[in-house]
Amino acid sequence: MSRRYDQSTTTFSPEGRLHQVEYAINAINNAGTCVGIMGRDSVILAAEKKQLSILLADPKSSEKMYKIDDHICCVVAGLSSDASLLINEARLTSQRYLYGYQEPMPVESLVQDICDYKQSYTQYGGLRPFGVGFLFAGWDKHNGYQLYQSDPSGNYSGWLAATIGENNPAGKSLLKSDFEENLDTRSCIKLAAKVLSKTMDSTDPSAEKMEFLILSADEETGKVSQRIMPDEELAEILQELQQETATEGDA
Amino acid sequence: MMEVNGSAMIVMAGKNCVGIASDRRLGWNKQMTVACDFQKVFQLNDRIIVGLAGLGTDVQSLRNLLRFRMNLYKLREEREMSPKAFSAMLASLLYEKRFGPYFVEPVVAGLNEDGKPFISSMDFIGAPTSAEDFVVQGTCYSQLHGMCESLYRPDMDQNALFETLSQCLQAAVDRDALSGWGAEVHIITPEGTYTRTLKSRQD
Repeated sequence: MSRRYDQSTTTFSPEGRLHQVEYAINAINNAGTCVGIMGRDSVILAAEKKQLSILLADPKSSEKMYKIDDHICCVVAGLSSDASLLINEARLTSQRYLYGYQEPMPVESLVQDICDYKQSYTQYGGLRPFGVGFLFAGWDKHNGYQLYQSDPSGNYSGWLAATIGENNPAGKSLLKSDFEENLDTRSCIKLAAKVLSKTMDSTDPSAEKMEFLILSADEETGKVSQRIMPDEELAEILQELQQETATEGDA
Repeated sequence: MMEVNGSAMIVMAGKNCVGIASDRRLGWNKQMTVACDFQKVFQLNDRIIVGLAGLGTDVQSLRNLLRFRMNLYKLREEREMSPKAFSAMLASLLYEKRFGPYFVEPVVAGLNEDGKPFISSMDFIGAPTSAEDFVVQGTCYSQLHGMCESLYRPDMDQNALFETLSQCLQAAVDRDALSGWGAEVHIITPEGTYTRTLKSRQD
C-alpha cells in the first residue's frame, strides 16, 4: 500500500515511517549474530563467524571485530563494505579528537558522531542509508565501561547486554533471563557463548565458528587493553559451558 | 626561527642498536632559559624514536600530528610502521607546508625488523638524508658534527654507544649558549629501549 513511498530515503510515508531506513535495518537481521555483554571489569563482544565457502582464503583479520582506537572497539552486523567506510570514519574521528584535545575521545561522543554521520544519509543527498549495525564497546575515565548499539537510522542506545543480527530475538530473551550485572569476565564469556549457541541453533558450538573480544581497563593508569581470544582458550570455556548446560536440567 | 628556543641532538648507529641523545633546554627569545626538562625526543613505537629540533611550539604540534598518523597507520595496515616509511612520511608532512613550514629539523632513530639500525634526518621542508653512521641537528650543528666525526666508530655495542653519544653531546652543547641545560639518551635494541638522563652543566 505504501510501496510508492519507499523508493526514496528522503520521503516519509503517510504513516510517518521512513521505509528505506527500515529496510536497511532488516538487512542487518540476516547477518551473523553479535553479542555484547558488560561485566564488572570488562566488556565482552562476541560474533558468529559465518563460513560462506571453503574456497575462501583464510582472512588475515577479522571481518566482524574492529579496533577503533586503543579504548574503543566494535563488532559489525550487516554489509561489510558499508561497515569499512564507517569504521574508517570512526577511526579518523577518534584520532582527530586525540590530536585536538590530547586525551582519548569519550566513547559516547564517538558513537554520537558516527550516528550523526549515519543519520545524514537518511535525510540528505538521495543516498541510501548504511546497511550496518554496530555494537560499540569501550572504556573512558568519565563513564567507565560502556556498551552501545547503533543502527542505520542513526539511533543509538546504551546497553548492559545486547545482541544484533540473525536470531537476535532468541538471543535477547536468553539475556533477559540469564543476565546479571557485575559478572566477572569468565562468566560474561560463558553467557555470550550460551547466547551464540542458541542463536546459531547449534547443539555443538565450536570455537572456530565464534570470535570473542575482551576489552578491559586498568582503572588507575587508564590503559585499556583489547584481546581477541585464541581458539584454544575459547574451546576450553565452551567445554566448561557444555558440561554445565548438560547438567542444568538434572534434579 | 630555529634559534628562538634552542636544541641539540644526535642519532648514532651501533651494532644492532641505535641511540639518540638530546638536550633539554627551552629558551625564550634567545635570552632566557624557561625550562630544563623540555621533551624533544619522542618514542613513537617500539622501534622508532624521533627527535625534533627547532621551534618549541612546532615540536609539540608535529609530535601530535605524528602520533595521529602513526595510530591511523597501525589501525588500517594492522602492522607497525617501519622506520623507513616513517621517515618518508615525515618528509612528506614537512613538504606539505612548503610555503608556511614547521620550523623543525627532525632526526629519526629506528631499528628495522632484522635488527639493523636505521638513521635519517631532514631539513625543515623535508629534504631527507640517510646515513650509515650518525646524523645531527640543532643550534650547535657544527660542534655536534665535529664531535661525532672525532669520536664515532662503527659497530659499537649499546654501552659504548651510550658513552659516545653522551660525550659528543655534552662537549658540543658546552660550546653553544642556546642548547644544553640537561641531556637525555635513549638506546633502542631488539630487547627494548633504555633511557637515561645525564647529569650535565646547567648553564
